[in-house]
Amino acid sequence: MTQTRFFKSARIAAAGLAVGAMLLTGCAATGNKTGGTDAAANASAFLTIPREDMGTFVQNFNPFAPTVNPMVQQSIYESLLVFNPAQGNTVPWLATDWKAADDGKSITFTLRDGVKWSDGQPFVAGDVAYTFELQKKLKGGYEYLDGVTAQGNKVTFNFNKPWSPALYDVGQLSILPKHIWSALADPEKDANAKPVGTGPYTEVDNFQAQSFVLKKNPNYWQPEKQKIAGIKMLAFAGNDGANLAAANGDVDWAPQYIPNIEKTFVSKDKDHRHYWFPPTGAMINWQLNTTKAPFNDADVRKALSMAVDREQVTKIGMSGYAQPADCTGLSGNYETWKNSQVKDNCTWTNHDVQKANDLLDKAGYPKGPDGKRTLKDGKPFEFKISVGATSSDWLSVANVISQNLAEVGVTAKVDSPDWAAVVAGYETGNFDSGIVWSVNDPSPYKYFNTTMGSATVKPVGTKTSDNYHRFGDPKADALLAQFAATTDQSKQKDIANKLQEEYNDAAPLVPLFSGPEWGAYNDSHFTGWPTQDNPYATLSVRAPSTVLVLTSLEPRK
Amino acid sequence: MTSVILQQPTEAKAARKANRGFIHGLITNKKAMTGMAIMLVFIGLALAAPLLFPGDPSRITGMASLEPDGEHWLGTTAKGQDVLALTIHGARSSLLVGLTVGVASTFIGILVGLASAYFGKFIDEGLSLLTNVFLLLPGLPLLVILAAFLPPGLGTVILVLTVTGWAGSARVLRSQALSIRSKDFVAAAVVSGERAGRIMFREILPNMASIVMGTLLACVIYGIGAQAGLEFLGLGDVSTVSWGNNLFWAGNEGALLTGSWWVFIPSGFCIALVAFALALINYAVDEVTNPRLRKIRKPATTERSAAQ
Amino acid sequence: MRFILRRLGFYLIAFWASITLNFLLPRFMPGDPVSRMFARSQDRMQPEQLEALRKLLGVDDRPIWEQYAGYLQNVLTGQMGVSITRFPTPVTEVISSQIGWTLLLGGTALVIAAVVGNLLGILAAWRRGGAVDSALPPLLVFIGSFPYFWLAMGALYLFGVMLGWFPIRHAFTDGLEPAFTSEFIGDVAAHLVLPALTIVLVSIGGWMLGMRNTMIATNSEDYITMAEAKGLRPGRIMLRYAARNAMLPSVTSFGMGLGFVVGGALLTEVVFAYPGVGYQLLNAVQGLDYPLMQGLFLTITAAVLLANFLVDILYVRLDPRVRSN
Repeated sequence: MTQTRFFKSARIAAAGLAVGAMLLTGCAATGNKTGGTDAAANASAFLTIPREDMGTFVQNFNPFAPTVNPMVQQSIYESLLVFNPAQGNTVPWLATDWKAADDGKSITFTLRDGVKWSDGQPFVAGDVAYTFELQKKLKGGYEYLDGVTAQGNKVTFNFNKPWSPALYDVGQLSILPKHIWSALADPEKDANAKPVGTGPYTEVDNFQAQSFVLKKNPNYWQPEKQKIAGIKMLAFAGNDGANLAAANGDVDWAPQYIPNIEKTFVSKDKDHRHYWFPPTGAMINWQLNTTKAPFNDADVRKALSMAVDREQVTKIGMSGYAQPADCTGLSGNYETWKNSQVKDNCTWTNHDVQKANDLLDKAGYPKGPDGKRTLKDGKPFEFKISVGATSSDWLSVANVISQNLAEVGVTAKVDSPDWAAVVAGYETGNFDSGIVWSVNDPSPYKYFNTTMGSATVKPVGTKTSDNYHRFGDPKADALLAQFAATTDQSKQKDIANKLQEEYNDAAPLVPLFSGPEWGAYNDSHFTGWPTQDNPYATLSVRAPSTVLVLTSLEPRK
Repeated sequence: MTSVILQQPTEAKAARKANRGFIHGLITNKKAMTGMAIMLVFIGLALAAPLLFPGDPSRITGMASLEPDGEHWLGTTAKGQDVLALTIHGARSSLLVGLTVGVASTFIGILVGLASAYFGKFIDEGLSLLTNVFLLLPGLPLLVILAAFLPPGLGTVILVLTVTGWAGSARVLRSQALSIRSKDFVAAAVVSGERAGRIMFREILPNMASIVMGTLLACVIYGIGAQAGLEFLGLGDVSTVSWGNNLFWAGNEGALLTGSWWVFIPSGFCIALVAFALALINYAVDEVTNPRLRKIRKPATTERSAAQ
Repeated sequence: MRFILRRLGFYLIAFWASITLNFLLPRFMPGDPVSRMFARSQDRMQPEQLEALRKLLGVDDRPIWEQYAGYLQNVLTGQMGVSITRFPTPVTEVISSQIGWTLLLGGTALVIAAVVGNLLGILAAWRRGGAVDSALPPLLVFIGSFPYFWLAMGALYLFGVMLGWFPIRHAFTDGLEPAFTSEFIGDVAAHLVLPALTIVLVSIGGWMLGMRNTMIATNSEDYITMAEAKGLRPGRIMLRYAARNAMLPSVTSFGMGLGFVVGGALLTEVVFAYPGVGYQLLNAVQGLDYPLMQGLFLTITAAVLLANFLVDILYVRLDPRVRSN
């Protein structure tokens, strides 16, 4: 009797738990599957954006923090000008005009009138001068900058040498309010929890570890461009979570890498979901350590480059989203700088197994009876390709390259420890080869400097943070010095052409593909996105050009 | 005196007889047979993999994300690799790592447990402290750090998993060894001057056979599962084909998001089946050694009938 | 009493050994946190800034003995420094703001799995050969054999995405303000269902079987036969005599389980984007955030030790045989 009584009570208890659970879930506000066609709802909706690499947010909006919170430099603070990589044009922002001196040793910016900080104080030239002073003190860099002088509504940057690439360097730094930051005891460590900026969305609201909202700046200088109600950031611990949210329609903007985007994202709502990956990201290179034989031989580098099937690499490794590189070595970010002669007569970035074999034979690396090549000292032609384990797309790229190289008798093994170990190897020059990013400034100066400038070459064993492949070309050095000295656009273009010819000759790296600037969006709530036909910005959320998108979007009517 | 000396051989003989009965018990046990059958199938497939699917199963081709059909029984991945080939080839690495980790952890556990139990006092205190410190170390972070620090490869994975796994088995084996240590026949062996090693390995150990087996099986299950977890986070050796890595790539290629369930399911299922088979064998061992745990064949009509 | 003192002494030594290991391990990793940050940001950080960053973050070149001494001092005074990856937030703030969710998730799942598992185990042992005993153990063990993340992702897609029965991420709906209202608590509960359910499913088999086997061993004891002979009700015997004695190993396991809640929640938090401390641990390790790593390891070690110590005390109360030893 007792047993059945026990079971009866157990069954009742279980039923009670189930009902209770259902009631609780009923109470909760679940399901944001409501359609986006209601104009009123859209007008008050927030632009929802995922952040896939933070896990949780901390209420710290300090731009000097090592990991800056999302939207700090895009929506809270602004800069003097904004460069749009998608079209190569520059948009005046907090500055209306700028002029470089003839000797290239200074630039003068004219500041915009009527700009206010979000706390109502006026934006003045002193803010700009103070920002650079603070930046140099806390973070260093800007070694060419002697000082910044403010006079009325003009700011002048003085350099200790002619330095034309400075325009974008100084033009895109976030400007901070002097009246707030000079009063802080420790500007580096301050959490800046309630930031004051000139940007369109500065008011922090409802800050949680998993999401936060930025509402309109009440004193913004372009109020007619603040059409959306605010920005909501969501935190995720990895691409998977962010992709799920995007596929489910819970976010408006999806700037992360989405595998097989047609099937995972677009197919769920073909009318409203779009993507565009302009090739304006940094050039992704396969770098060969030029301090090690046989990589110090330009012919070997070119031969290995010809063995790589870039079509296959981009199609399989990058899901077809990336654009194969050409012999100029420049990414799509520098489309207007490209030397058309070099580009059209390109040979060593085309897939040509026959030529690769011939070139390797000629260079003195013959194939053995087993079809595998040997080095000049008799050892087998084998080496490693390093790539960080967490970058699965580059891992696929390395695997394809390894497969390609086998066809010319070269054995390459993919080595994928954690990025920390890989970068440590790059920095000290202890590696064979690896997949690596490059700089992507608006001006190509830095790119060429870190690719083949002797100034950036450090010996093996000394830590360096660029030019890991340690290649220096004296001819390039001369050209680079000329480039930095002139501010004349057409002269710069001439020098850049010559630099590309030198690059084509020396082949310091094996350029693979232009890193695509990921970007996908869902326009059921907001319209006005940049597209291939209207490339007023890219779809990146971490670039200076992001603010152009934020001030162009409007709720769908 | 004579009675004590006489007692020892008969006890030892009885122990050996029990072992024979143990094996017989296993063979007739349904659970054990099912478990062993599953394991044999997997081991057979793993060994035969290069014959069944010659070539490199991870070769990247263009036939992406095909659904299961006549040519590809389990379809293909987003990189055009045959899923069935990947799964069967994956068995090789997963089983190898699992078995190696299991054997290594158990072996170390036996050494530490026996030494602890036999020598007692300071050696016991010291080894217990060591065991407990390793038990207290946060497992997953330790795995992540070691995996990042050591060069990638199966050897690293095995080393890392053994380092984090031996403490659990050591603890269990120590308590069992302690209880056997206190038995009379061991005392007799000590008094009669047998060498320490001989006592540990030929007197105490055989009496722990079923516990050792249980520990071994548990460690193998741990090895397979932990390897899969490590690889899913991308910290294993990404260049080998194994069940964990198959799942890692499935996640990275958004298999579930694109609805390519055939990429995601097989490797997970295989891990579950192997773990389940080993667990079955484990319970069978429990049942055989502890008769009370055996399945009751007759309905319990004579017991507690009054309660109805 | 002596027993407790001995255990305390042991735990202190174990604590010291653990924190020393926690100090040494991260420093064996190649590279330093600033280079790691630079690699992660790829082309967005200026190389000239790295030195200043190193100085700021206190990435030290002091000899390792000095660093160790400083570390021990910090541990004893409770200072855990400032996190590198989440600079300039102090480590204590990073941990305390997120640990609540991990404890909620892990604790809830542990309690449910232990309670339900033990009850099922008791039932299975009491009704040997019955439906519960034959069908459930193999089934639960099979479900528990699946790799945890596989089960979690499958559950997420099946119940969250395709059927839409449960929310698919985070601890509560974005936009809600945390408060002690029934609306918020209900929302948190709804978000807790899937993550907790997957953890429960994976672990419940172990609890059930453990309890079942111990119960069977206990059932054959003489005092149970005596109780039956005396005519006590079977339910009473099962719960107040057999189960109470069979519970002891479960209590030990529960204690160990409590301690590992923090470290074990990692995969759940990654799959379900749950804002806890587990994912932060992975992030800290990959970002070489020494202070945060040390802080988290310390927290986990302390939690495990504390849980074990409490279990030991509880054990003394539950099992008089230990007292008389």
